Amino acid sequence: MTATDADSSPAMKFYVAVWLGLLSIAGVEVFMTYRRFSSGVLLAVLLILAFIEAGLALLYFMHLKYDRPILLWSFVLSIVFVLLMMNQIWPDAYRMVSIGHP
Amino acid sequence: MSETPATFAEGLDARMEPSPYGIQSKKLTMWLFIASDAVTFGAILFGYSYLRVGTSDWPRPFQFSPSILNGLVMTAVLLTSSLTMLGAVSAAKAGRKASSLKWLAVTILLGALFAFLHLREWFHMFAEGWTLAKNPLGGPVMFGATFFSVTGLHLLHVICGVIALIVVGLGFKTSWLDENHVETTGLYWHFVDLVWMFVFPLLYLMNAAR
Repeated sequence: MTATDADSSPAMKFYVAVWLGLLSIAGVEVFMTYRRFSSGVLLAVLLILAFIEAGLALLYFMHLKYDRPILLWSFVLSIVFVLLMMNQIWPDAYRMVSIGHP
Repeated sequence: MSETPATFAEGLDARMEPSPYGIQSKKLTMWLFIASDAVTFGAILFGYSYLRVGTSDWPRPFQFSPSILNGLVMTAVLLTSSLTMLGAVSAAKAGRKASSLKWLAVTILLGALFAFLHLREWFHMFAEGWTLAKNPLGGPVMFGATFFSVTGLHLLHVICGVIALIVVGLGFKTSWLDENHVETTGLYWHFVDLVWMFVFPLLYLMNAAR
């Protein structure tokens, strides 16, 4: 067992608080879905809430807050970089709409 | 030659220099798998989003009841299973094996419940006429293909996770595996939960009939 494996985990009470927070965010997502937002605004709201949920899960449930920062930076940044690079698809998606692709 | 994986790993740790990440090799391997799997899910979700944006009359078939409500219950079940997984890991690390095994059993049951709810929904959709290449509403057929592909890949991960939890639980019970194996499997389980945090809003809520 390495030094960082030494139990630095928060108590279960804290995990229950995070779990309640995640449940609440899921409830807010459903609530927001039925507000009169346009699809673009709704997508932005849902993605922001999903990223907050994912951040909580990564930091606390997956323990990244208590592991060495290099783990978080090397893995999360590389994944974020790859996902950002995938955004090059959008111009073609809008082109499909503009040419009336079914 | 009766060396268990746990004692073998301890022997290796004693002979090798410390990991720069400060974690065991098995946990680092799981993080590598999670990184690659995150990109896989990212790609399939981008593919779905590409088709959704590029299709002018994309269907919104999900009514609040039963589809969105069922999705919300599935979310609650999966989030709760992550909490029980944390209970299993905490108990295992504290040396309370019996308690850890109980939490693991609850996690397995919740995972199985999630899979049941998901399959029930799928069969309900099949009965309505949805397939990979058929849209009973008469619009674009790509909805079924993307919905069943994305949720199917996630469901496959859940089912594999349940099987992994059963194997690790049995191994931990017989002391063939140790608390670090429980923790590493927990990491995978939380990742499955994390992916659902994007699948639910993008596949269900964005396709809710409003």
